[in-house]
Parts: sequence; C-alpha cells; structure tokens
Amino acid sequence: MTRARWIGAAALSASIVLSALGQLGMKAGMQNLKLARASGEIAWSLASSPPLREALLFTAGGLVAYALSLLAWLAVLVRYRLSYAYPLLALSYVLVYAGATQWPELAEAATPQRTVGTLLILAGVGLASLAGGRGSK
Amino acid sequence: MSNLLLLLAVVLLSTSQVLQKVGAARRLAGKQKPSEWIAALFSPELLGAIACIVAGTALWLAVLYRMDVSRAFPFLSLTTVLVMAASRFLLREPVSWHRWAGVLLIAGGIALVAST
Repeated sequence: MTRARWIGAAALSASIVLSALGQLGMKAGMQNLKLARASGEIAWSLASSPPLREALLFTAGGLVAYALSLLAWLAVLVRYRLSYAYPLLALSYVLVYAGATQWPELAEAATPQRTVGTLLILAGVGLASLAGGRGSK
Repeated sequence: MSNLLLLLAVVLLSTSQVLQKVGAARRLAGKQKPSEWIAALFSPELLGAIACIVAGTALWLAVLYRMDVSRAFPFLSLTTVLVMAASRFLLREPVSWHRWAGVLLIAGGIALVAST
C-alpha cells in the first residue's frame, strides 16, 4: 500500500469510528440532560447534579468526536469521489446500533426489525461502495 | 414536532456534505501546508458547510433528546439518498445502477428500523 493510499484509508476509518462515537456521546449527553431535568433539581452548580455534569461531559465529548470526524472527512473528500466515500461512512450505522444497544449507559432495545434493518443498510452500503472500483480521483 | 426537526436536520446536513465536497475540490485539492488548509476553511463553500453543520447539529441534539439514537440515526441515511442525487445531478459525477440499488437497500433498511 502506498503512503497516499494508507493515509486515505486511515482518514476514512477515523471518519467512520469518530462519527459513531460522536453520535453515542451526544445521545448519552441528551439522556443525562433529560435525567437532570426529570429529577427537578435546579442545579446551577454542576457539583450538585451528577446527571447535569455527565450531560455536559458526554455532549462535549460527542461534539469533539463529531468535529474530528468532519476534519478526517475533508481529508477523505480530497482523495475519493463523494458517491464512493459517502456510502462507506454508513458503516457507522452498524457501530451506532451496536453501541446504543450494548453500552449500559444507553441500553436501547435491540429489536428484530432494527437488527434486520441495520443489516440491510450494510448490504446496501456494500453494493453502493464496492461496485465500479475505488472511485478515487 | 420531532419528525419536523429530524427532516430539517437531515436537509441541513445533506447540504453541508455537498458544500464540503465542492469546497474540498475547489479549495483543498493539491494543498499540503496547514496554513493553506486554514485559509481554505474561510472560503464561502466551507464556511457555508460549517454553518449548515452547526445548525444541523443543534437540531440533531434536540432530536436525540426526544428519541432513541438507534431509531433516529438511521434516518440520516436519507442524507445518503440526497447526497447521491446531488452527486449525480449537481456535481455531474457518474453514478452506476449498482449504487442506486445500494441506495434502495439502504432506504429499505431505514424504513424497517424506523417502523420500530
């Protein structure tokens, strides 16, 4: 693998993983914000409200991961056609689904429809991305 | 209300994708130095892309507040369909029937996930 191709592959992998981490972080943040509001505390002091503190931490972490994924994505766009690279980014659907259902912080329900639907997306991603070469430009 | 927010977020995030690609092609291609990249970030295309991302992300947080991420996130694949159409019709990239078939499968998967 040449250096340029290695960089392209690394940037693409980073975009996919970071965008999934960003989604999970933002969701965990919003979930904690909901908890903080439900608990009825008017917690202007972060120390007195663990959910509010976690809401801020997770949301900020999620946004940072998301921002980094966008930077990596720009490096991807220089090297690949959008119609090739973009469908590959959809691999993050599987990562988000796995994270949302397996990470105890979120513990969302895994249903047959969601599992089959996510696998359909993967198949679609494979078809859209692998047909017709690498699409580099 | 949640669905309206979701739709708006998807449109903004799709627009950002297209602006990013146009910006990357016009401003970033062939640039190596970090200073050149930073200058490119302030081009109209990439500033517009950033504005769409910021607004889309704010709406997205409001969506996540109301919905499971395992249900909301697949809706973003609508972006795939919009971006594929924009790749073909605005950017004039060749898009083979395989890719369209893939997009259809993705959309089917989304519909299934969304039904839960």
